[in-house]
Amino acid sequence: MGPDDLLLIVMLIALTLYAVLGGADFGAGIWEFTTALQATDRERQHIYKAIGPVWEANHVWLVFVLMILMNGFPKAFAALGLTLWLPLLLTLVGIIFRGGAYIFRSYGGGPKRELLLWEAIFAVASTGTPLFLGAAAGAIASGKLKIPTENSLPSEFVIGWISPLAVFTGFYSIGMCAYLAAVFLTREAHVIGDEHLTTIWRQRSLSTGLWMGVLSFGGLVMVAIEAPHLAEGFVTRGWPLVIISLVCGIGSLIEVWRLNCSRAVIAASGAVTAVIWGWGISQYPAIIPPSITAAQAKSPDGVLWMMLIVILTGGVFLLPALGYLFMLFKGEQLDRKVAS
Amino acid sequence: MTGLLADLTTANQLLPARLQMAFTLGFHIILACYGVGLPVLMLVAEWRFLQTGDRLWQKLAQRWSRSFAVLFAVGAVSGTVLSFELGLLWPEFMGRWGAVIGLPFTMEGFAFFLEAIFAGIYLYGWDRLPKRVHWLTGWPIAISGFLSAFFVVTANAWMNAPAGFRIVDGKIVDIDPLAAMFNVASGAQVTHMIVAAYMVTGFSVAAFYAFCLLRDPQNEYCRRAFTLGLLLGLVFVPVQMVVGDWSAKVVAKSQPVKLAAMEGQFQTERHAPLRIGGIPDPVARETRYAIEIPGALSFLSYADFNAEVKGLNDFPDNEKPPVIVVHLAFQVMVGIGSLMGLLAAGCLVNYVRFRSWPKSKWFLRTVVLMGPLSIVAMEAGWIVTEVGRQPWIVHGYMRTADAVTRAPGVWSVFAGTMSIYLLLGIATITSLVRLARVPLQEDLHGT
Ligand code: HDD
Ligand code: HEM
Ligand code: HEM
Repeated sequence: MGPDDLLLIVMLIALTLYAVLGGADFGAGIWEFTTALQATDRERQHIYKAIGPVWEANHVWLVFVLMILMNGFPKAFAALGLTLWLPLLLTLVGIIFRGGAYIFRSYGGGPKRELLLWEAIFAVASTGTPLFLGAAAGAIASGKLKIPTENSLPSEFVIGWISPLAVFTGFYSIGMCAYLAAVFLTREAHVIGDEHLTTIWRQRSLSTGLWMGVLSFGGLVMVAIEAPHLAEGFVTRGWPLVIISLVCGIGSLIEVWRLNCSRAVIAASGAVTAVIWGWGISQYPAIIPPSITAAQAKSPDGVLWMMLIVILTGGVFLLPALGYLFMLFKGEQLDRKVAS
Repeated sequence: MTGLLADLTTANQLLPARLQMAFTLGFHIILACYGVGLPVLMLVAEWRFLQTGDRLWQKLAQRWSRSFAVLFAVGAVSGTVLSFELGLLWPEFMGRWGAVIGLPFTMEGFAFFLEAIFAGIYLYGWDRLPKRVHWLTGWPIAISGFLSAFFVVTANAWMNAPAGFRIVDGKIVDIDPLAAMFNVASGAQVTHMIVAAYMVTGFSVAAFYAFCLLRDPQNEYCRRAFTLGLLLGLVFVPVQMVVGDWSAKVVAKSQPVKLAAMEGQFQTERHAPLRIGGIPDPVARETRYAIEIPGALSFLSYADFNAEVKGLNDFPDNEKPPVIVVHLAFQVMVGIGSLMGLLAAGCLVNYVRFRSWPKSKWFLRTVVLMGPLSIVAMEAGWIVTEVGRQPWIVHGYMRTADAVTRAPGVWSVFAGTMSIYLLLGIATITSLVRLARVPLQEDLHGT
């Protein structure tokens, strides 16, 4: 195992954390979008309180993935910038509006009408961002991305990335975020002992969970038809993760139903994690299949080792700090204390 | 034909891509300055609270921390834009050089992360943490703000003074990321930028409260905030002049053509004069209307009145930066720096004689002016650095034109960006003004 493999693992870990933690944040906004007409003020407050202290940190994971890609696999970074510029740009617009809307809603202190506007923007951007980011991921996974050359037609730059799989993964990631958020928010509601909210979120978790199960099967079929290379990877290497994802998914539903909320959260996160690792492992060693592999795109080994040292050193500071943040604001004990 | 089309598109991409990069960086850097500077002010205010138990100090720290939350979030958003843009606008640059200068960006990633984590803890921890612990959680914010500026500017310094690799047959070999980070230009540039960040924060804060004091001279809260801000700004004024001189010496050594453009120096000559003001005329190849101090440029650049300064005429046409922009931007920065120097000297004299700030309204009005001016100086400095490096993106190794993306539509993207950032800017300022307007009394009883 070379330094490039280690770095890929680090990148996959960061991507997973982004998908789970950032995903739950996005999901909260998606719920606001889909329930805009029915949600009461109290429900909205519940959402905002849950994301408040952690959303900023949750979103740095994405920056982190980008930085590793840029430094460790610069050729892949450059190729993605060229081929996927449109979905990435749209993701970026989503990130800007989401972050802006959240902060102006929380701190802007404007009149009611203006708050509503920011809320609406927050909700739409929370839905759009995972849509486009997910689509970008699907475009990569499809194995059909053509890296534009000197004499590519402008149209290839614009719509070349769109494929059935890309469209599917776009919507799939919206569903994934919504599901995570529903389970996380069930737990938060349960911890502070709010029965009304707990019931609502429990119902939502169960229904989205079932839908996600159906979608996941559809996804496997889709991969089999649309991305034969990836499907082969799943058959030879990725299959245990499919099983793990299945088990975790079903497990999370059962635990939500029984209101074992912490376990439900773990299982739901596990399901998402398994999907991402299943993808990564099945696609290995390609970063952008079929043409760009890790070995081709990587920086020299010396640089990669240096990065790993930096990441290890940084991790020594980062992980305890992150743990402290979550302990402070997500620990059950404290939540109870504040609620009472 | 297709080749021609490709050429056309690349040429069309370059201008909007540069404008886009300049605009988004210019926006981000203002917020980054507050991200580096405000935590220091918050720490000082809260420390005074811990010492004196005076709730007004705590209020100050709390209200600053709320503004910080807004600025930090917008800074984070605009920073994320930048990290995407490096790939979206300059794929060839990153694809080729990412291995060499990626390391500081990776390190920066950690610094941001720590800053975001502790910002969360600090902002939401006012009621949850013991007072002293809460104060301590502010430190990592200040430190990682400092570090992120440090890391990211080393990357920029490398673009000015590339190091840490060799080129063999067109391939990059022997990459040494640490040597790339700590290149000839890093020391001066990093120091100059971080000092600028403290100055921008200090003067902006002072300007805001000077404005309040003009309306309500007795307001104790504003007086304290004003004092802290102005002290932070003024202390660094003399430092910045020394560091700026260091920067100029580094530029003289590593990028003589940039120095010539900054100074509007067309002839190569010994005993070169320092020009104050003036408008360079690239066609006639001379700088008119400047006040010239004989020999001063040779001395400032090389510590020798008789040193030879190379003029623009001695460089090939396709290696010269746009001299008018660079010269004017440099004059603006140094001019504002000198004004600040006068202000600092005035305050010092007044303090020695009366043990207080000058009492006149004109003093407050000058400080109000210094807020925007400090930002202008900082932006002008970046224009000197970046435009002065043209036509290179990596000085001597890669031209900007060769780095730009081939994807279409950059003009439309730029137009879109302008409108989105306009909205973002207005909303940020509105939020800050509203935060400041919350009456203090109400706030003291509220959260
Ligand atoms: C508050 C802001 C501020 C002030 C008052 C000054 N500067 Fe500055 N200057 C900057 C803010 C700045 C900056 C924006 O931070 C730059 C851009 C890149 C950098 O590292 O610092 C810069 C760049 C910069 C450069 C170019 C460095 C390069 O291209 O690598 C030089 C030569 C100077 N400065 C010199 C000076 C001098 C002689 C000053 C005397 C008063 C001065 N600066 C005041
Ligand atoms: C680490 C920090 C920075 C990096 C890595 C960086 C990188 C770049 C890159 C890649 C370009 C486009 C290529 C080029 O025109 O040379 C650019 C251009 C530019 N940047 Fe920077 N930049 C940094 C900081 C800043 C800041 C803070 C400003 C603030 C105003 C700034 C102002 C500009 C301007 C004005 C241009 C356009 C120059 C021109 O095209 O004539 N830069 N920079
Ligand atoms: C090409 C140049 C740059 C890139 C790619 C970049 C990238 C970023 C990113 C991704 C963030 C958000 C991190 C988060 O979510 O917390 C950020 C924030 C920040 N950036 Fe930049 N940045 C650049 C230029 C600069 C420069 C020149 C400075 C110089 C001081 C700077 C200082 C900061 C600071 C202090 C923050 C923390 C947020 C804040 O305090 O507002 N950045 N930057």
